[in-house]
Amino acid sequence: MAIDLPQGTLDLLILRTLALEPQHGWGISERLQQTSSDQLRIQQGSLYPALHRLERRGWIKARWGASENNRRAKYYELTKTGRRQLELEKDAWQRLTAAVAQVLADLP
Amino acid sequence: MIADLLFRVRALFRRGAVEAEMEDELRFHRERQLAKLVNSGMSAAEARRRVQMDFGGLDQVREECRDARGARLIEIAAQDLRYGFRVLRKSPGFTVVALLTLAIGIGANTAIFSVLYGVLLRPLPYSDASRLIVMNETTPKVGLVSVSIPNFLDWRAQSHSFAGMAAVNDVGFNLSGLNGPPENVTGEAVSPNFLSLLGAHPFLGRDFYPAEEKPGAAPVVLLSYQLWQSHFGADRNVMGRTVTLDGRAFTIIGVLPPEFRWLQKVDVLEPIGTWAAGNSGYSERGERGDTVVIGRLAAGVSLARARAEMEGIASRLATAWPATNDQCGVALQPVRDVFVSGIRESLMVLFRAVTFVLLIACANVANLFLMRGVNRAREMTLRVAIGASRRRIVAQMLAESFILTIFGGLAGIALAAAAVQGIAALIPADVLAGATVELNGPAFLFTATVVILAAFLFGMLPALNATRTGAHAKLREGGRTSSMGGGQSRWRSALVMAEVSMALVLLVGAGLMMKSLYRLLSVDPGIRTERVVTMQLSLRTAQYDKNPAILNFWQGLLDRVRVLPGVQAVALASGVPLMDDHWRTDILIEGMALPKPGSFPHPDVHIVSPGYFDALGVRLLRGRVFTGTDNETSPRVALINARLAREYFGTADPVGRRFMFGHESSKQHPPRWVTIEGVVGDTKMYGLENPSRLEVYIPFRQLVTGSMRLVVKSAVDPAALVPAVRRAVASIDKDQPVFGVVTMQQVVRESVFARRITFIVLGWFSAIALLLAAIGIYGVISYSVAQRTQEIGIRMALGARPGAVLRLIMGEGAKLVGAGVVIGLVASLGLSRLIGSLLFSTSAADPGAFAAVTATLVLIAAVASAIPARRTLRVDPMATLRWE
Repeated sequence: MAIDLPQGTLDLLILRTLALEPQHGWGISERLQQTSSDQLRIQQGSLYPALHRLERRGWIKARWGASENNRRAKYYELTKTGRRQLELEKDAWQRLTAAVAQVLADLP
Repeated sequence: MIADLLFRVRALFRRGAVEAEMEDELRFHRERQLAKLVNSGMSAAEARRRVQMDFGGLDQVREECRDARGARLIEIAAQDLRYGFRVLRKSPGFTVVALLTLAIGIGANTAIFSVLYGVLLRPLPYSDASRLIVMNETTPKVGLVSVSIPNFLDWRAQSHSFAGMAAVNDVGFNLSGLNGPPENVTGEAVSPNFLSLLGAHPFLGRDFYPAEEKPGAAPVVLLSYQLWQSHFGADRNVMGRTVTLDGRAFTIIGVLPPEFRWLQKVDVLEPIGTWAAGNSGYSERGERGDTVVIGRLAAGVSLARARAEMEGIASRLATAWPATNDQCGVALQPVRDVFVSGIRESLMVLFRAVTFVLLIACANVANLFLMRGVNRAREMTLRVAIGASRRRIVAQMLAESFILTIFGGLAGIALAAAAVQGIAALIPADVLAGATVELNGPAFLFTATVVILAAFLFGMLPALNATRTGAHAKLREGGRTSSMGGGQSRWRSALVMAEVSMALVLLVGAGLMMKSLYRLLSVDPGIRTERVVTMQLSLRTAQYDKNPAILNFWQGLLDRVRVLPGVQAVALASGVPLMDDHWRTDILIEGMALPKPGSFPHPDVHIVSPGYFDALGVRLLRGRVFTGTDNETSPRVALINARLAREYFGTADPVGRRFMFGHESSKQHPPRWVTIEGVVGDTKMYGLENPSRLEVYIPFRQLVTGSMRLVVKSAVDPAALVPAVRRAVASIDKDQPVFGVVTMQQVVRESVFARRITFIVLGWFSAIALLLAAIGIYGVISYSVAQRTQEIGIRMALGARPGAVLRLIMGEGAKLVGAGVVIGLVASLGLSRLIGSLLFSTSAADPGAFAAVTATLVLIAAVASAIPARRTLRVDPMATLRWE
């Protein structure tokens, strides 16, 4: 059973995926599915508002390019500020999960 | 931040392209997903169903994407504006009144600011102008006087406070030999470092050489850009050509930059060395002609320190040269102050006043909004009830006020364009000193600021007010009789009260100025100005070097003009009243105790032809006026004015007594005594507000001068005589220009220009303020009548007399106006001191003026409330009762 994505983590996952290479929306969604071993379930539609929001904030930028099957596709790539943001969010997330894990471990 | 904004703006304006891109992107995704599923063996129909399910509602995704792109915020603003336009179009009456009110308020502000900017604020075309100081000499008898050149040379040699100093001497020339009639041009003879001291450079050609300071320098000249354009066809090879000034060939060495300006109009600049040859003024310490000194403060030196040093130098010179410098001091003023000395005060007063006009306009529009807000209360309530946020409604109402102010502002700029020319025309050209007054960038920037301020000023209050009361309360109030809450009507009353009080302040200002101007114009100038025209002639060419030539010219001119049809009297005078023309010198009266050198009587000396007293209506008090027999061969005679007679002869009869020009010490052998033949009335040489000075008149044949004003008294419109007079001059000497043509009534008008401009513009402002306040009162009362129709009906049904009902409504207006008047009077008492220096024999708290304007305002207010109040008389009690 795949798990729903907690609020706010989608941005982090998109940034992380784009840190590897520029990718289009569908590619991002495929990649997320694969790397999480199908554990995460993302409403595919919700990916796009997130991408547009990140683009407006200047963390990623878009350009049109040819896809692997030679179709016109919109590729997103990380900007410099996006890369910084990724580090920040990664750090925050790790501290969050560590803290949650600690609390859970302490409880009987 | 900027990137974010650009992104949003692109999302808004390139909406088509952005939408298409989004569609492409979403389609690509679905197609890839579909292909993937089909490849994995799913049936096409099943795959499509899965894609749809995984993807979610397509429309919702699109909408979320748009939100994410941030186009929403701007789209909402655009929507508000569109809605605002629709609302305003639906109530044209409201819109037109509001627009006009704002256009007037904003236009008046833009106009005054433009004038203020052009005259007071626009940087002078000099580098670091705040360090440039204009210096004059001072004497206890006159105040500021010109600087004598020998004194200037000593100042320059002895002072250390200045990085540089230059003498600037007013000159005039007859320009002839070009195509066109001869004309008078003006300019300056300057120290060669004049331009570099100002930080100005010739536009073409070269600056003066230092050697050109030496008397006898070759005649060279720099042309003004304007003269170069108009008389030399903007020929870039003009250098080396010659121009004929006073019949002498000057070599053109360059052209001044277009923006160059100086205290007097500069057509040409010559080096002081050229001017010095043949001018005793260059070497005589006692001659103070038309020279000022300009200096640039040295680095780190304050004006106060420079002043202290210069005063020390002046007092040393006074000790060293008592005959010419006794009691002479020095005055230092920043050059900007000298440029604007005549008009600064008026403009500052008008700038303050125009703020009031804007505030009144804003109050009026706010009032209109509040009034309309009542009618829209239901709309607002409904919108709140179905979930509009307060912020959203306020933003929407502000959008309406922005639309109004922006269009009001545009209309205001159009009004200002017309007004600016009108106001500028009220300022005499010599006061403007080359300042250009126009609507320009700074003015538009100012207008934009005013527009934004105004939109908030009158938009915020009604907007907050409209959303204040809870939705429930208003819905409960029901439809038909929805009325203004107590809060709103208090606001509206306060606004009207404020309008009334501000209008009163402006009215008081205008009233005081009117009284001052009236008093000033009632001052007797000592002359009759009706149907008199004067014009200047300067005989400066070589042919007038020898004496008979000058007198022959003057006599020929008098003879020819006297016989022109329509001429009643004609005369020549070296100076006429109110024009600041002057030649002053010390005199020594026979038998008087010898005073200190600086304390001799120092009258204005007027050289006049016999007809002068007749042409200008100067009254003869004792003795006789000049006749044709007072000529170069007859005994030397003079007339004195009443003040000189009173101060130096007391009750004794001065006729027959003698005086001489200059001091005993200057020992003429034998002394050339002048006999006083008569006493005439005082004339105002230096402005109606200033006391008359001592005056001496000399017949023009006994003291010859080449520069005179022709005074012509006409039986008809004097301006109509001017062409004939010009022809008469040309028939004697075709190269002789006639200039400075002006009627004496114009002279009087221009002499009071500062008060006149203040009065005229303040008068307009207060008329506008009065009208706006009346509209405000009218609005409040008619609204009140409409609201209270039912109450009035009941009162009348119960037997109230129409008169009593009328009084009830009028009383409401009276309370508002009364409170406004009280506030306004108190404020006026405080504020009218600001125009104190512009008042003339009128107190800043003049009871007459205060009473008159208060009465005017109350009368207008009464009319404004009576018109709507009368509607109560037509109320039919039965109808109103049935209505409920």
